[in-house]
Amino acid sequence: MEGTRCWQCGQPTAGALFCPSCNHLQQPTSDYYKFFGLPQKLNLDPGDLQKRFYSLSRQLHPDRFTRSTPTERQYSLEATAILNDGYRVLRDPVSRAEYVLRQRGFDVGEQRSKDVPPELLEEVFELNMALEELKVGDESAREQLEESRARFRSMRDEVDSQLQQLFVRYDESADQDSANAILQEIRGVLNRRRYIRNLVDQVERELAA
Amino acid sequence: MAYSDKVLDHYNNPRNVGSLDKNDPNVGTGMVGAPECGDVMKLQLKVNPETGIIEDAKFKTFGCGSAIASSSLATEMLKGKTVEQALEIKNTAIVQELSLPPVKIHCSVLAEDAIKAAIADYKKKQSALQASQPVSK
Repeated sequence: MEGTRCWQCGQPTAGALFCPSCNHLQQPTSDYYKFFGLPQKLNLDPGDLQKRFYSLSRQLHPDRFTRSTPTERQYSLEATAILNDGYRVLRDPVSRAEYVLRQRGFDVGEQRSKDVPPELLEEVFELNMALEELKVGDESAREQLEESRARFRSMRDEVDSQLQQLFVRYDESADQDSANAILQEIRGVLNRRRYIRNLVDQVERELAA
Repeated sequence: MAYSDKVLDHYNNPRNVGSLDKNDPNVGTGMVGAPECGDVMKLQLKVNPETGIIEDAKFKTFGCGSAIASSSLATEMLKGKTVEQALEIKNTAIVQELSLPPVKIHCSVLAEDAIKAAIADYKKKQSALQASQPVSK
């Protein structure tokens, strides 16, 4: 965004949403962090993010631009969409981490099986067998499921605190190489977390049924 | 999205569901999973030690219809092949046979991974076996 100039007055904008010279709305960046004026950190203060969201919502609302030029009306629509999507993504730590991963060129939705630890696969398999037994009316499986639920919940908590530590390390990383190495680790932990979350959901659904 | 008839057929009448003795040195076991949807697939194959041909294959898959159909088809494709031929099986063949839509291609990839994992397990067992008992001629 550095080096961009205002579409209206031609003065440099330094990437600001509103031109510092003539105050016209500029084409919004699609980078959520830049859009919210935040450094690319994995730990964000939720209160601060919410404040920025409300403040930007007020400034960018399409109703404020009904009498502006068609260009600004268009930009305000675009900006509002980015604002809402960005807030949704950045608010949640997991989707935020996935967003940073994607931005740094990691493929997130396309994991292969090698990303899942084999011992977890065995666990998943056993759990599914127990779920199937319960479905056909074998009540002895229920106790096993309750144990599984407790185990998976503690696994989930463990993964969450692991993730938290990795976020801190990423935010403190000194250079790009070490940041990327940490992102690689985060990607692995997120895969594990996704798996575990599915398991918790599945067990809870079955036990509630 | 509608499943193709072939997917439905494999889903409703899965071939070769079950398991083989995973401690049998002639059996290879592959366990794979897809992180994005929580699918887990176990595929096993049994090689005839005389002929080197895969004489049996079994699977058990927890997941969507396409994942079940992909692994069911994979076990059918394995039977009668040598281990080397089995390694040639590509996920694209499964995609074509089942007419999988793009969003379900990862299911076929999973099945290919499962075959590879099962063969790797089989080969590992065989080389351990050969290391422990020298081949007599």
